[in-house]
Amino acid sequence: MNLLKRERALGVAHGKRVYDLPLNRGSGSGFLVLLIGLMTFLAMMALAASFALSAMTARWSSGLEDRLTVEIPATDAGGQTIKHDDVKSMTDRIATALQQHPAVANVHVLDDQEITNLVKPWLGDDLPMANLPVPGLISVQLRQSDPSTLKQLSDRITSVDARGRLDTHEEWLRDIIRFTGALQFAAAILTIVIGVTTAAAVAGAVRARMAVNRDEIEILHLMGAADSYISRQFQRHSLVLALQGAFAGMMAGMLVLATIGWICGRMEVDLVPDFALRIWQMLVLACLPVAAAGISMVTARHTVDTALKQLP
Amino acid sequence: MIRFEHVGLRYGIGPEVLSDINFSLEPGSFHFLTGPSGAGKTSLMSLMYLGRRPTRGLVTMFDQNINGASRETLGTLRQRIGVVFQDFRLLPHLSVFDNVALPMRIQSKPEKQINSDVHDLLEWVGLGSNMQQLPNTLSGGQQQRIAIARAVITRPRLLLADEPTGNLDDEIGFRLMSLFEQLNRMGTTIVIATHNVQMMSKFNHIKLVLDKGQLRMEEPVKAASRKKTGEGAA
Repeated sequence: MNLLKRERALGVAHGKRVYDLPLNRGSGSGFLVLLIGLMTFLAMMALAASFALSAMTARWSSGLEDRLTVEIPATDAGGQTIKHDDVKSMTDRIATALQQHPAVANVHVLDDQEITNLVKPWLGDDLPMANLPVPGLISVQLRQSDPSTLKQLSDRITSVDARGRLDTHEEWLRDIIRFTGALQFAAAILTIVIGVTTAAAVAGAVRARMAVNRDEIEILHLMGAADSYISRQFQRHSLVLALQGAFAGMMAGMLVLATIGWICGRMEVDLVPDFALRIWQMLVLACLPVAAAGISMVTARHTVDTALKQLP
Repeated sequence: MIRFEHVGLRYGIGPEVLSDINFSLEPGSFHFLTGPSGAGKTSLMSLMYLGRRPTRGLVTMFDQNINGASRETLGTLRQRIGVVFQDFRLLPHLSVFDNVALPMRIQSKPEKQINSDVHDLLEWVGLGSNMQQLPNTLSGGQQQRIAIARAVITRPRLLLADEPTGNLDDEIGFRLMSLFEQLNRMGTTIVIATHNVQMMSKFNHIKLVLDKGQLRMEEPVKAASRKKTGEGAA
């Protein structure tokens, strides 16, 4: 206990070795803890955003995989409205034809109520469906989805009625996957920038601390202290500060993510995915303080070793 | 032990503060380094404690050519040198005990040995009751004794002291000089930079006299007179 008290008085974190340099004196340490905390928080947000986008893409992809939609327009080629009953009969005939194809697992003709529900968010609740030219929609679940199957299904639709249109969702899904991919790339770049900024901040703080303790460093050097003897002290000091800041940043980040998850869970919009992280994703986020500590340690050591080479 | 051949030193692009210095110190010798203020004593000492490399000439220490030695080698050689700085250069945030223990810790000595040696030495220099105090709470004379204890704690092969008794009363000063002589008898080579004529006459050793960047060696009075007598007899 006395040893620990003595070491703390000397500016030592915990353990047997003491710092020979007064590294805990001054206000620079608090600033570095705050900075590393903020950086860890930002890195956590960037990574969590990347994970959420990844989950969203996966959900959309899996939801639409092996699934296609057939639309029977409510107007003819000349723009004239087709009678609702005719559209319905064409829809039923195409559905029957598709049902007979071996690659089709299930065919579902959307009734008027389902179509109304689909357009409700855009057109409002008091939609006069009877007066609107509503197309026929068929949702098709496939056993397998490959180009030849899609060609066969398309041919079968046009053989029943040339106006029937097959939508494989590929086009807009490709665009949205490309967009989320770009966002994920941006999140990865942001994480790297945060890491580099952390390293630069640590290097700057270490250089400032070395300038403040120049006399003490010179004394140790003249007593024959190896560069590693001096740089180890900075390394350990930076490690302690980085762990303090990074854990605080991680706790704040977890609080924010938990809040976002709770809010997402209460929303009734299907477009927004659940914000539940997988185990491996949580492990990656939990490793952020370790990464911050590692970056700080390596940067501190490298900075001190480089600076000490200026001494004879 | 130490050999300087045509050594010169200048700071930056300024004039040479040391010019064509030539001398050698045998292992186990005891020298005073003296001269007027500004003569270059501190610069010469800094070359000897390997705080600088010469701008010209050859310096050999412990049979190693310093000019071409690696930084790692210089570090190892520095561990064989104890230095008492004129301004003490104690670490103000460390206790008296930890200041004196520092060279031993740098040399990775076991804590048990550090504890025992530092206690013994601090008792000997009269600071046994001040071990846990910070240096700034002590007098100039006490701080000087800490600096001396720190320099000798590892029993260095070469001890360099810059005005080591300047702030001490005569009794303590002579007592510490006796410690230096005792270390010298155990094989430590000692160089003491001083203006103290009384001390130089009492402890009769070879004098290195530095004046305007030039060095000359003066034999001890008795030895020189004996030498003269011997030469005359022959």
